[in-house]
Amino acid sequence: MSRLIDKKLSRRRFIGLSSCTLATAVVGSQVKVLRALATSGDISAPVAGKDDSIFTTCGMCVNKCGVIARVRDGVIRKLDPNPHFIKSRAMLCARGNAGVKVVYDPDRLKYPLIRTGARGEGKFRKATWAEALDLVAKNLNTIADKYTRAGVMFASTEGTYQDHFFNQLAECFGSPNTVRHPTLCLSSNIQGFSATFGTNPTPDVLNADYIIMSGANRSEALITPDSIDMLKGDGGRRKVIYLDPRFTKTAAKADKWFPIKAGTDMAFILAMINVIVSEGLYDKTYLQNNTVGFDKLLPHVASYTPEWAQDECEIAADDIRKVAREFAEAAPKAVYYQGRRSSFASNDTQMRRAMAILNAIVGNWDVKGGMLPNAGIKLTPHDYLAPWYDDVPERIDAGSVAFLSEKDGSWPVVQERVLAADPYPVKGMMIYKQNVLSSVPDRAKTLKMMDQMDFICCIDITMSDAAWYSDVVLPEATYLERQDPIESLGGPVPVAVFRQPAIEAQFESKPCLWIMQELATRLGEEIAETFDFTMDEYIHHQVKNNPQILTDLKEKGVYFERTEPNYGSTLGKRLKTVSGKIEIYSQRYADKGLDPLPVYISPTKIPAGKYRLIVGRHAFFTHGTTANNAYLHEIMPENTLWLHSAAAAQAGLTHGQTVKVRSSVGEETLNLEVTDKIRPDCVYMAHGFGVLSKGLSNIYGKGGCDAALIETKYCPISGNAAMHETLVEVVPA
Amino acid sequence: MKNKRFAIVLDTKRCIDCKACTVACKTENHVPLGTDNYRNWVGPEPLRGTYPNLGQTFTPSQCQHCSNPPCEHVCPTGATTVTPDGIVHVIEHKCIGCKYCMTACPYDARYYNEEIEAVDKCTFCSQRIYGENGQLPACVETCPTKVRVFGDLNDPNSDVSKLLAKHPSRVLKPAQGTKPNLYYLI
Repeated sequence: MSRLIDKKLSRRRFIGLSSCTLATAVVGSQVKVLRALATSGDISAPVAGKDDSIFTTCGMCVNKCGVIARVRDGVIRKLDPNPHFIKSRAMLCARGNAGVKVVYDPDRLKYPLIRTGARGEGKFRKATWAEALDLVAKNLNTIADKYTRAGVMFASTEGTYQDHFFNQLAECFGSPNTVRHPTLCLSSNIQGFSATFGTNPTPDVLNADYIIMSGANRSEALITPDSIDMLKGDGGRRKVIYLDPRFTKTAAKADKWFPIKAGTDMAFILAMINVIVSEGLYDKTYLQNNTVGFDKLLPHVASYTPEWAQDECEIAADDIRKVAREFAEAAPKAVYYQGRRSSFASNDTQMRRAMAILNAIVGNWDVKGGMLPNAGIKLTPHDYLAPWYDDVPERIDAGSVAFLSEKDGSWPVVQERVLAADPYPVKGMMIYKQNVLSSVPDRAKTLKMMDQMDFICCIDITMSDAAWYSDVVLPEATYLERQDPIESLGGPVPVAVFRQPAIEAQFESKPCLWIMQELATRLGEEIAETFDFTMDEYIHHQVKNNPQILTDLKEKGVYFERTEPNYGSTLGKRLKTVSGKIEIYSQRYADKGLDPLPVYISPTKIPAGKYRLIVGRHAFFTHGTTANNAYLHEIMPENTLWLHSAAAAQAGLTHGQTVKVRSSVGEETLNLEVTDKIRPDCVYMAHGFGVLSKGLSNIYGKGGCDAALIETKYCPISGNAAMHETLVEVVPA
Repeated sequence: MKNKRFAIVLDTKRCIDCKACTVACKTENHVPLGTDNYRNWVGPEPLRGTYPNLGQTFTPSQCQHCSNPPCEHVCPTGATTVTPDGIVHVIEHKCIGCKYCMTACPYDARYYNEEIEAVDKCTFCSQRIYGENGQLPACVETCPTKVRVFGDLNDPNSDVSKLLAKHPSRVLKPAQGTKPNLYYLI
C-alpha cells in the first residue's frame, strides 16, 4: 500500500485534492473501511420474492423517477409510480411505464458477442464472458503499450448509477480521454449560469407566477417536477410565455407562443434587459448589494432596443416590451427558465449568460418563485487511489475551448481530433451505453473516427448503432435487474435514490460493476485493488454517516430531508463566484479574453431554398435509446420531416411525400409532414430513427437520422455542440 | 352497503398528450401490442387558427361506462354487462366475437382481443380498485399532470363529486342518450 501512496497517486486526483497527505491517509484505508462496514449482506441478497413489490428508480431517462415494480410469478408485470417520490410528484410517464418491455425485449443483448465479419456488417459470434473479457483486456493493454494509455477513449452514459464504476475504470486504466453527454446537452447552460450565480440554479416552477421558456419544451422534453408544476391547477395566477420556432405541446399549453427566429433568443433577452433597465423596473439597492457590474450593463444594452430585436427575432417590439414589463412586475416570482439542453448555437454560453443576467436584475435569486440554488444529499464517497502512469499526455481536446470539463471533455472536439490524430492517436474505444453514432453530430465523421480504431468494446442492453460497430459487445443487466448504488439527485429539494433488482438478471447479462471488476482483474492488481468491494459494502459505506438513508430507501424507495426548498439559505452569504456576488459583469471571462457581458451575434442568413434544421425532444423517446421499445414504437413508429405548409407549397412538396434532406455532411430520406406547427424557414425531425443497426428490429429502415445531417460545430466557451446551425435542402426522393 | 357509482372527471387543460395513460393501461391490462388494440387513448384535437396564432387541445378518452350503455343492449349473449358499481364489462367466456357492441359504441372504446378471443375494454382497472391495496386505475395513478380524478359519485365527499359540484362539466355525445360517467371539466 505504501508503494501506491508514494508513487501511484493519479495526477488528476492529486490536482483535485488540497492536501496530498490527508488524501492518501483517507484513501489508503479505504478498502478496510469498506470491509468493516459490510453487514449481513442484506443489499446484495436478491431480489423480489415470487410475488412482490420492489422500490426502485426508473432508468428510462435522466429524471430517475420513483418506481414500484410489481412482480408476480417471478415476472415484472407492471411498473407503478412511487407515491412517496416527491421529485416526480408520484407519476410515471409513457417511457417509465414502457420499462417492462426493456426487460422482456426480443432485441435484448443476451450474451457476450465477438465480431466475426467486417465492422458494421453485423456478424458476431456468441462468446463466453471469460473469452470476451480476456479479449478486451488484451486489446486495451496492447493499445496502451503502443500509443500510451491516452490511446483508449472512454465514452459513458449517465444515470445508470453504475457509470461511476465505468469512469473509475477509465481513470485507473490511466486514460484522460473520458467523454460524457454534457457537451451534447447542457454544458453551455452550466457554464453560463455558473459564471453568473456560481451554480446552475433551478427555477422554482411550482411557485413562479410568470415563466418564460425559450426552447425548453417542458410538456414534451419532460423534466420532473418542472413539467408537472408548469401546469399548476386552475387556481394559479401563472402565466407562461413560450418561445420556439415550433408549435410544440408546450406552446399548446402556454398563454402566449412566439415563433421566434431560431438562434435569436439572445436578442429577445437583451431587449428585455434594455426595457427593464431603461424604464427602471429593478431594485437599485438590491442590485448594489448583491451583484457586480450592473453599471457596465446599462451602456452595454443601450443599443439592444426592442425595435432592434424585432428585426432579429421577428417578434414585435411592443410584445417584447409587454413581456419585459410583465416579467419585472411579477418579479421576484418570475423566472426566465433556462431549460436543460443548450446545444443550439455556438454562442449558447453567452446566450445563457444573458438569461442569467435577466434573472439577476429582477432579483429572483433564492426566493420563492425565483431561481433557486441546488443542494444534495450527503453520501460518503468511495475514494480510491488511481495508479500513476508516466508519459500519459493530457486530454486530446485540451486547450480547445475556454472552459473544458476535465472529465466530460467536448464531444465535437474529441471527434475531430481523434480523427486527425491531433495531437496523438487514439486507437481504442470503450463505450458504456452511450449511443455515440446517434447522439454525436456528423455521424459519417463519427463512423470514420470509429473506423480508424484498432479496437472498440461496447457495453449495452440492446444492439445500438454503437454496439453494431463494435468488436466486442457486452450485455449489461437492465435497470430492473440490478442493485445500483445510492445516488443523490440534487435540486432545491434533493432526494437520494437507488435501485433494487426486481428480478434476477436475464440471460447472461451482468451489471456494470461486475464487468468492471472482471476487467480490472485482467488489467492488473493495482486497478483491481480499487474495485475490491461488493455492492453491499459500497452502499453501506455510502450511508455510514447516515444509515437512515438506507432505511428509508428500503421502506419507501426514496430519502429526503425536506419537502420544501430552503428559501434564502444563500442570502447574505458568499456565492461560488470570484466576487462572491452575482456577476453581471464577468471579470473571469474578461481575463480569458471572452466578452464579459453577452454580445449578440446574428445567426447565419438562410439562403433561398434552404432551411435551418432544428432538433428537439418529445415525451416518448430518450435520445437514441428507446425508439425500439415495443410500446413506445407504437406511439411513434417513425419520424417525419416537418415543413411549414407555405414553404412546402413554394417548394412544390406535398404532405406524406418521401423526401431527401441534404446537408453538407449527409443525406437522409424520410417522409414529409406538412404542418403549420413550425416556422417556414426551419425543418424539424425527431431523434432516434434512421438507425444503422439491424439489431433494432422495430425501427431499422424507418425514418431518418438527425445526427447524420448535423455538422460539427460547438461553443468555444463550453465545448457544447451547436446543433441548430446546419442548413439543409429538401428535395423529392 | 350502498353501491358505488364509479366515474372519472377529466381536466383536459392539464393534458400534455404524453401517452403515459395509454402505456400504463396496456401494461396493466395486458392489452396486446398494436395500434388497433387499446382501452384508452389521447386524441390530439385538430390545430386551431392560422400560423402564428395557433391552438391545440388534447382529449384523453376511453369507455364512458354509460348508465345507458348501447353495447349492453345489443349484445346477443349477455357477455357485456354492468356491475352494481356501474362498471361496464365483458364476460370473456360469454363473448362470441360478433363485434356488434363495437359497432354500437359511439365512443369507439372497444377492441377485439385476439389473445383472449373476446372483445375487451376498460374496466376502471377493477383488479386494482378492488385489490388489497385499493389502488387507483393505472391511467389515473400514472398521469404526470393528474388530468383524471377517479371516484364514487354516490359519495358526496369524494373528489369526483366535489369537482363536479364546483365546476361546470360536459359529457361526450350527450345526444346519444348514453348517460356517460366520464365528465370533462369546462
